[in-house]
Amino acid sequence: MKGFRVLKAVAAAATAFTFYAAAQTNAAESVKIGIIWPLTGNAAAAGQASKAAAEVAADIVNNAHPELGDLPLAKTAGLPNMGGAKLELIFVDHQGNPSLAQQLATRLITQDKVHVLMGAYQSSCSFTATAVAERYGIPFMVGESAAGNITGRGFKWVFRGTPIASDYARTYMRFFADMKKQGKKIDSIAIVNENTDYGTSVADAIVEEAKKANVPVALRIPYSASSTDVSAQILQLKEKNPDVVIFISYTADSILYMKSMNNLQYKPPMVIGDDTGFSDPSFIPAVADAAQGAMNRSAWAIGKPGSTTYKINEMYKAKTGRDLDDTSARNMQSFFALADAINRAGSTDPEKIREALTKTDLKPEQLMMGYQGVKFDETGQNILAATYLIQLHDKSYELVWPDNAATAKLQWPMTGGKN
Amino acid sequence: MNKIPALSPTVLLAVALLIYPLIFSGAFYLDVGVTFLLAAISASAWNIVGGYAGQVSVGHAMFFGLGAYAPLLCYKLYGWTPMAGIPFGIAASVALAILIGIPTFRLTGHYFSMATIAVAELIRIYFGTWDLVGAAIGLQGPATARGWWDLTFRSELPYYYIFLTVLAVLLSFTYLMERHRFGYYLRAIKVGERAARSLGVPVQQTKIRALVLSAMFTSVAGSLYSVKTGFIDPESGFGILVSVQMVIIAALGGAGRLYGPLIGALILIPLQTATNTWFGGGGTGLTFIVYGGIIVLIARYEPGGIYDLWEQISPRRWRRKHAS
Amino acid sequence: MLLLQVIVGGLLLGAIYALFSSGLTLIWGMMNFINFAHGEFVMLGMYVSLLVVMYLGGGPAAFGFGAAFALFVLGVVVYLSLIRYVLRGPMLAQILSTFGLALLLRYTAFWIFSANFVSLPQTSLSGTINVGGILMPIPQLVAGVIAILLTIGLHLMLTCTTIGSQLLAVSEDRGAAMLMGIKPDRMQALAWGLSAGAAGIAGALMAIAYPWSPSVGETFGLTAFVVVALGGFGSVPGALFAGLIVGLIQALSAFWFGPIYKDIVVYALFVALLWLRPQGLMGKA
Repeated sequence: MKGFRVLKAVAAAATAFTFYAAAQTNAAESVKIGIIWPLTGNAAAAGQASKAAAEVAADIVNNAHPELGDLPLAKTAGLPNMGGAKLELIFVDHQGNPSLAQQLATRLITQDKVHVLMGAYQSSCSFTATAVAERYGIPFMVGESAAGNITGRGFKWVFRGTPIASDYARTYMRFFADMKKQGKKIDSIAIVNENTDYGTSVADAIVEEAKKANVPVALRIPYSASSTDVSAQILQLKEKNPDVVIFISYTADSILYMKSMNNLQYKPPMVIGDDTGFSDPSFIPAVADAAQGAMNRSAWAIGKPGSTTYKINEMYKAKTGRDLDDTSARNMQSFFALADAINRAGSTDPEKIREALTKTDLKPEQLMMGYQGVKFDETGQNILAATYLIQLHDKSYELVWPDNAATAKLQWPMTGGKN
Repeated sequence: MNKIPALSPTVLLAVALLIYPLIFSGAFYLDVGVTFLLAAISASAWNIVGGYAGQVSVGHAMFFGLGAYAPLLCYKLYGWTPMAGIPFGIAASVALAILIGIPTFRLTGHYFSMATIAVAELIRIYFGTWDLVGAAIGLQGPATARGWWDLTFRSELPYYYIFLTVLAVLLSFTYLMERHRFGYYLRAIKVGERAARSLGVPVQQTKIRALVLSAMFTSVAGSLYSVKTGFIDPESGFGILVSVQMVIIAALGGAGRLYGPLIGALILIPLQTATNTWFGGGGTGLTFIVYGGIIVLIARYEPGGIYDLWEQISPRRWRRKHAS
Repeated sequence: MLLLQVIVGGLLLGAIYALFSSGLTLIWGMMNFINFAHGEFVMLGMYVSLLVVMYLGGGPAAFGFGAAFALFVLGVVVYLSLIRYVLRGPMLAQILSTFGLALLLRYTAFWIFSANFVSLPQTSLSGTINVGGILMPIPQLVAGVIAILLTIGLHLMLTCTTIGSQLLAVSEDRGAAMLMGIKPDRMQALAWGLSAGAAGIAGALMAIAYPWSPSVGETFGLTAFVVVALGGFGSVPGALFAGLIVGLIQALSAFWFGPIYKDIVVYALFVALLWLRPQGLMGKA
């Protein structure tokens, strides 16, 4: 008899589920943006941080924020070309599951009737979710996914605001060339990458660009991000002794690498972290005294008090208690580009929004990120996306490269930790 | 007179599944339906060896993954229709089943479960490093169909009926198996291997046959998954969650019963979808708290699965009706 | 020299594997029960340590004890409210129950602590000592030594004390133990407490050197299964031995073949060993 209760609960759940769909149709005068991110599962931390960033961005667009300077749509409340229409965000959680991402994209388009889509963090989920958007003819903004071939599959409806793996790789090579000119010794580099789509894509791109730039890759070490011990990798590096080590890592492993390097008294002339783990707000407090002078790739800089970026960071901090990180900031920038296009389209018609997206031309001063602008090529990739290099000085990152944007002087070699 | 009531639940079920797309014609509901069918197929395939023979494999993702990779690999390498890969997936899975069946079936109980987990994990990690199959990034299907033979449909409807057909074939096969000598062998092994052997059941051979059959159908399920999703990577093909889901669905519904996995999927998939719909966007993890909680409750109060519960209720109802 | 360094690192990690696996093996051997939520116990041990450090202060001794105690209580509660009932059910219901429990625990932690990665603030344990050219990070060294001592302690408790023999009596023959006046239910609850408690301390020891988030338990769970199956179900010395070996194999294969192959090597050896010696290295045939 006890089982009855369970059965009843399940039946109740099923009925309520059917009602949910019915409640979804009360249309309001707003633009619906469906956002697909991993809010649970292994990448949940990144998804959650990006969700908060998107909410801040929506607040900036929907309410008047004249203090935010040239940032498009900040001054006015809502979208001016659409009579002050507000953005309505609908978040869904794909849990890192590509097939679920596909289903959720379908749901957002057919049930929630969203006008545009955004997502999906993991490249695997971006692959499947964008295919749905393409099928239904709904613009899809890829906020942040590394794999090169998400754009360039002949899709008309997919746009990507963020720089991609090959952009990062080229940035590193330009940086190395610059350093060599200044007389720094970069005879060999090592790449340590986590072995899912992100780490593999970026590492492949670096290997390729390094070949073109004639920078010898002494060692490439793929590893699993769930490793609890990385000393073997550190010892391999110690043996080969490269001049620069690039880590393409998630959070726990980045911290573990910096701590273990310190413990095992290994200090290469320079360490470069490829964003992600090195940009996680947990990174600095955990390793500040072990990784002084470690560099990081980031297109985001908080900037001086009073600047637009500083104010955005304050808004984000008020919401989450943490500083905005590069991953979430890039998602936020993509969100702004999307909002700008919707405003210029002046309509919720997907085709008009798509056309407006193809005509996007944001200038550097209109951006919160250090890109040279936002402009999509025929594959939908932002061709003006770029990135800074930042360096850990004391308890915060300082922008050190390129020179024309730098706020602090590059330290080479890195100081490392106490040991 | 007697035959009709015995058949009626089956007929009802078949009719319900056939007309579901007519009632819930929205693409999202169709997709949920397709997901449900796929889960029912995988779990029913697992059921042959895990339920009927009582050999609890927690590594069936190895067959699912092989089946899932084969079509997209054929497409990537030769530009063939993904359909052409399905037989290769089956062949690879059968080979693997025999290869691992021979050593691991010497093990019983938890040892067998652990060995299957280990083999599946081994394959998952290996595929993540293997460039031919796209390593960590995985493989994609045709972005747009070149023709119907690419099985890349704009609508979910064709998938629904393809999957339903496969499920019907699998369940009919299982139904016949139940009544065949082979089915009795399996149940004898489940009850007690030693006793079965003493009665002249070829235990080792029967177990391997069951694994091969189960692997074949699991592989087909994997192929259906990747053809429909248009994408496969090591985690979605060989991940431990893929294996665990099959076990959970079968156990929830009733392992070793013809309709057990179907009933399990009928409960679990709407439950997953509903919790994710209600709580997913909030990002608090409530999805899994509710989901995990309900699994625990069912294990605690209905350890034989929902099918048991149904059997307890239905004859009583039946008798009550006919007594009056 | 480099090789020796690799070996030391592997053994220190292996010691922690041994500690949390010994908890799993206890349950497995005594009740023939797979606990899929064991990795989650380790994860909770890590969060309890963080809470103790944040709200009560104190060094590793304080949070180690706190984690052990909290998890011991949780283990007993889980046994009394859930495991006791599914223990008599079919094996599938057992798998179902602990898998559901794992999700429940993982996402309750997720709900409370969020998905963000956390690490313990710097404790008094830091620095590295140099023994004849081999570098040993003090946190890992202390954690490893404590883990070995505790695992040995657990073994001694099982073999040399009255409670230990009562526990073993229940696992050998429940009926006979009842006739001797031992209450099996109480003993099994105790075993669950000990098992979760060991996982809790292991979590506290891991937390000293390792940042984590709520999904960390998954990794530990799988490792623990391999260690237990290698060591032989129910054998604490087996778990100790197997834990050290797994740690060592992982470190050596990561060094020689590259880190992505380390788990492949461990699983392959595991499957091979299951085939050759299904009862585990130290299990009874």
